[in-house]
Amino acid sequence: MTAPELTERERLAAEHALRLLEGEELVMARGLAASDPDFAREVSDWEERLAPLQDELSGVQPGADLWDRIQARLDGGTPVAEVTALRRRVRQWQVASLVSAAAAIALAFLTIPAMQQSPAEPQPEAPLMANIPIGDTSLRLAVTYLPDRSEMLVSASGLTADGVHDHELWLVPPQGELRSLGVVKPGEEVRMPLDPDLASLIHDGSQMVLTREPLGGKPADEVAGPVVAEGAFSLI
Amino acid sequence: MNDAVRQREALKDDIVRLASGDRSALESIYQATSAKLFGICLRILGNRDEAEDALQDVYVSLWRSAGRYDPERASPITWLATFARNRAIDRLRSGKVQRGAVPVDEAAEIEDTAPLADELVETGQRNARIHHCLRELEEKTQDSIRTAFFHGKTYAELAEAKGVPLGTMKSWVRRGLAKLKRCLEK
Repeated sequence: MTAPELTERERLAAEHALRLLEGEELVMARGLAASDPDFAREVSDWEERLAPLQDELSGVQPGADLWDRIQARLDGGTPVAEVTALRRRVRQWQVASLVSAAAAIALAFLTIPAMQQSPAEPQPEAPLMANIPIGDTSLRLAVTYLPDRSEMLVSASGLTADGVHDHELWLVPPQGELRSLGVVKPGEEVRMPLDPDLASLIHDGSQMVLTREPLGGKPADEVAGPVVAEGAFSLI
Repeated sequence: MNDAVRQREALKDDIVRLASGDRSALESIYQATSAKLFGICLRILGNRDEAEDALQDVYVSLWRSAGRYDPERASPITWLATFARNRAIDRLRSGKVQRGAVPVDEAAEIEDTAPLADELVETGQRNARIHHCLRELEEKTQDSIRTAFFHGKTYAELAEAKGVPLGTMKSWVRRGLAKLKRCLEK
């Protein structure tokens, strides 16, 4: 006797509710849960189906002072844990920025001869950085834009290829359609040239989204896949 | 109205009250649910100190997240149990917890304890279909799904614990989930 298979989405929702997933699949599930209300509903349906299992578990009294500790945290305004978490995020961001800035500097160093050939050029503008968290995972996509070279460095060293999907990075201009910035290569740091028209749209604060697509990126005649991450450029 | 229903309604009202900014509601929610939610956190984290920290997070963040509870949709205790489970798993995976540093004795101990008869919150769901449907599965599948649910294990961790390849574990669990869904929809 065989059970009818779940669709890929149904299965992913159940796995996400059980918290079985890691890596690329987790990123995918979190992206869907954030961008697709039907999927989010399916996840909470599974959570509700499974929750009665907790009845098998007996209650255990926590320490007598725990309520006082909770109250103290609430009275103290911003909970300590939140501040700690925020600090940690800032620190991670700074570390990641340093790494990417270092990469940008290394790249600039390699291209010094090219720059020396055009001494009349105006001072290069400062590079812009975006550090895009993927879902709630610790994975990050680091994007560095070098205005003077109309080039981007995209580091996806935390991502792994699943063999059936690619991720495409999009610029969200203030008006009009999303503009593709290219397909991200999992596990690699790549340089992407930008045409000047596209480059002119990138400023401090420009938003980007990352979508999940078939291999090779979004087919021309289809709509873009689900958004799995987003972020914005800022000055280093 | 029996006690269980009355308690459930009271808890529902408290969450709604908390969502509207009445912090005093949090204390009655705590009184009614802390033993149950602590049991959930303790099973996942396997050590009292970690579980107490997680439980603090649960109630502190509940203060901000109560508005997400939809009384039309879910039983309050189901929602709170899911909320606590997810918080504890986040903590487990955030790397704050030294894995294996503390033996899981405490967690193992509570596994064998019979539910307290005078548990403050009677969820009234002991007859829920999920119990029946889970028992219908093959033992290894049932066991894997239970371990994932109660201990917050990922596919990779389950596969390692059972000493089977990752792909094998995935196919056991996926088959189990498909059967579960079919059984639950009967």
